[in-house]
Amino acid sequence: MNVAVPLLQVDAIEVAYHRVMTAVQGVSLQVGAGQLVALMGTNGAGKTTVLRAISGFLGLDDARVTAGSIRFMGESIENLAPHRVTALGIALVPERDKVFDNLTVAENLEAAATPRRADRAALLEMVHAQFPRLAQLAKREAGYLSGGERQMLAIGSALMCAPKLLLVDELSQGLAPLIVQELIHKLLALRDQLGLTILLVEQNARVALDAADHGYVIENGRIVLDGDAAKLGEHQDIREFYLGQGGAERKNYRDVKQYKRSRRWYG
Amino acid sequence: MQLVVNIAVLASIYALISCGYVLIYRVSRVLSLAHGELMMLGAYGLVTTASLFAAQPGVAVAAAGLLAAATGALVYWVLMRRMTGEAVLAAVLATIALGILLRGAMVLIWSAQVQHPARMLGFDNPVVALPGGARLSTISLLLVGMNALVYLALWWFLTRTRYGIAMRAAGQNPRLAAQRGINLHAVYALAWGIAVFTGGLTGILIACDAGLDATMATIGLKAFPAALVGGLDSLVGALCGAVIVATAEVLLIHYVDPLLSDVVPFLVLTAMLIVRPWGLFGSREELDRV
Amino acid sequence: MPHASGYFRTTYGQDTRLVDTRTQRVAAGAFICALIALPWLANPFVLDLANQTLLAVVGAVALMLLTGFAGQISLGHAGLMAAGAFCTGILSKELGASIWLTLPASAATGALLGVIFGLPSLRLRGLYLAVSTLALHFIVIYLGHEYETRRGFSTGIVIDPPRVFGWELVDGRAWYVVFLIAAGGTVLIALNWLRSRTGRAWRALHGREAVAEALGIHVPLYKLLAFVASSTLTAMLGCLFAYYRGFVSGEAFSLFLSIQYVAMVIIGGMGSIAGAVMGAVFVTLFPYGIEWLVGLVSEALPEMRGLQNAVFAINYAAFGLVMILFLVFEPQGLAGIWRRVQAYFLMWPFKQKPLSGGGK
Repeated sequence: MNVAVPLLQVDAIEVAYHRVMTAVQGVSLQVGAGQLVALMGTNGAGKTTVLRAISGFLGLDDARVTAGSIRFMGESIENLAPHRVTALGIALVPERDKVFDNLTVAENLEAAATPRRADRAALLEMVHAQFPRLAQLAKREAGYLSGGERQMLAIGSALMCAPKLLLVDELSQGLAPLIVQELIHKLLALRDQLGLTILLVEQNARVALDAADHGYVIENGRIVLDGDAAKLGEHQDIREFYLGQGGAERKNYRDVKQYKRSRRWYG
Repeated sequence: MQLVVNIAVLASIYALISCGYVLIYRVSRVLSLAHGELMMLGAYGLVTTASLFAAQPGVAVAAAGLLAAATGALVYWVLMRRMTGEAVLAAVLATIALGILLRGAMVLIWSAQVQHPARMLGFDNPVVALPGGARLSTISLLLVGMNALVYLALWWFLTRTRYGIAMRAAGQNPRLAAQRGINLHAVYALAWGIAVFTGGLTGILIACDAGLDATMATIGLKAFPAALVGGLDSLVGALCGAVIVATAEVLLIHYVDPLLSDVVPFLVLTAMLIVRPWGLFGSREELDRV
Repeated sequence: MPHASGYFRTTYGQDTRLVDTRTQRVAAGAFICALIALPWLANPFVLDLANQTLLAVVGAVALMLLTGFAGQISLGHAGLMAAGAFCTGILSKELGASIWLTLPASAATGALLGVIFGLPSLRLRGLYLAVSTLALHFIVIYLGHEYETRRGFSTGIVIDPPRVFGWELVDGRAWYVVFLIAAGGTVLIALNWLRSRTGRAWRALHGREAVAEALGIHVPLYKLLAFVASSTLTAMLGCLFAYYRGFVSGEAFSLFLSIQYVAMVIIGGMGSIAGAVMGAVFVTLFPYGIEWLVGLVSEALPEMRGLQNAVFAINYAAFGLVMILFLVFEPQGLAGIWRRVQAYFLMWPFKQKPLSGGGK
């Protein structure tokens, strides 16, 4: 795949909360147009912070990108308000609270603001075509949806913003493996049919690596590994610590420390 | 019969005012304790526009309404926008401070004398006799009608239009709303604009009916228990709360003691807070939210 | 530990000490001397101002305990003062009771109201609580009015000056001594509460109730305690206020008074007793400052003479404006400004406190 001009380029960003607490440091990543890129890491590694840095912080987060730059289609977007970022063509499917619980499915889709250049009616038709279930559930309050339906609605209403880049935070969380499979296929189909670019943030490395073209691993607020998804899947440490494969015999703690030393540091 | 009419008029007043409280609260989780003063400002706006367009009463009233809406948006833009991200408490205190500032400023600009904008515009306010022997002024009748109109319009706006749905969405989950491309500041400013507009409308009608002086802000404060009794996050609740508070007030004044007037809404409120603190139609989670 | 620039507390004992350094001790001593000397130097007008300020200090400290430390908002402060004042008025009118009876009775009324006030706080939070205190304000005022009209004291209940140890308290100077003791006592009591178990419990439940509960703090008990402590002090203040004024009337305890006390807490700076004192001084003297300014302006510009009649309105507007400015630009209040000035000199030539090591 041609990655000459990346759609999204995150360059050595540093994010601080409340002006003093640094959550991520020197994180760089690139997402080429039409790619599906996975960002993997454990709890608290800084995945969500990176996503929020891209999609924009609210005043009440009291967070800022304090160093580095984020460029989307050549435009600098760090510290832009979320609705401005969305208007540029980046939509986020958040991890929690991904739908408006007290609004119906139809209203959830209606609430999304569509940029002026896009055609709302056509978008809605497209969303209903991609997720026929949402058309059936139109009058249902979103709070009563099942986990999978919520995720569909979240992706659907993100699509209503006519994005070029879709950020998906924790696609697999709380969902049955079968539904995760289905949603991953849907994302791949969306990418191929709509020319969408996707940045997928996942704890579940197997899900992420199976679908992605390229992968990044983040730990303690830094990118520690990156590479082609297939190659990453072969990587000894990834196999062992993220996929739970590799040595059947139990490792002792010294080996774990050895692993920590073997990681590369960026930035 | 007269009592029923009185209740209906008072309930309309409370309902019209409390929909402003509810709207601002629902959208931005802030309680505007300056609502009484803002409503008064709307009425004083009419005094000014009435002196500008004395010949065209319709223009004067429309201009005053627009002025009120603009004031609301301005209040958000200049003051309340800075309070986002601060504790809810600070925002509420800011509205209290704003109320005090407005009170002083209004006396400075329009003096403390009673004003009669209706007379300035040449409206007369004949008494209407209803079947059953009850009587009420034309403007009171207008108040009741306006109340129905405002609530219908709000219901239509919030459930049928894109901006209304966006407003509900922003009230529920501001972060997600922003990520869906909704401009939160614009939505909040719109909510403030609508709330102050309806408040100003109420103020204008009351001023035309009974004259206008600094005591009007008290009515705003008395309507506030109505909003709470119904549940701060529900418009239907505000309507029911207004009816309950107005009924209690009219009946107690009539049968027990006229002095009770100022305290009845708060008595009802206290009873409500003891029995069902989240209000008739409010959601229980609201209690933990603030 | 090598001594760095600045003053660092290195033991727990130091942390709970009232007066930290020698400089502070000297400053506090000088301040107290000045306070004692004041009545012999001041004219009656200044003395009255000082008395009002000292009264405000009592109220501001009481509210600071509740709002600034325990984190419970109250808009019913004026109502509580009214309760104390009416209690005093009614007892001295109906029974001819002396201050030795009315003061404890006011305190008891305050404590009782504190429990009633506080009970909703066990279920309500934030806004709803503020509203329930607002309701209490209106109810107390109504009951007071009701008494006034029933007994025919429509202009207010007149109270004779109290006798203390054979002295009749009429003179401003005598009152000054009483108020100085009251204010000093309140401040000391508050400071001592705050450095004890109770104070720590309050701060904990201000921070986060669930965590406080997990730490073994009896949340309902300490919440109620905060309300009772605050309202007892406030009702006693109401009693003294009634005696000082010589009469009690509902009009004196408007909602605006409650807001003024809240303003003292905000302008002074949340969570600081010194802030409460500064806020009380600021808010009490503010209207006089405005009046003085208006006087100056209308003297300089004869065409602005009309302003003199509008002093009351100007006062309101300016007060609201100052409150907004503090809320927006200086949420830490005067105490915050004070701390920054202090830090500036302590840290000089560095601009900011170190993020770690220095301790926060």
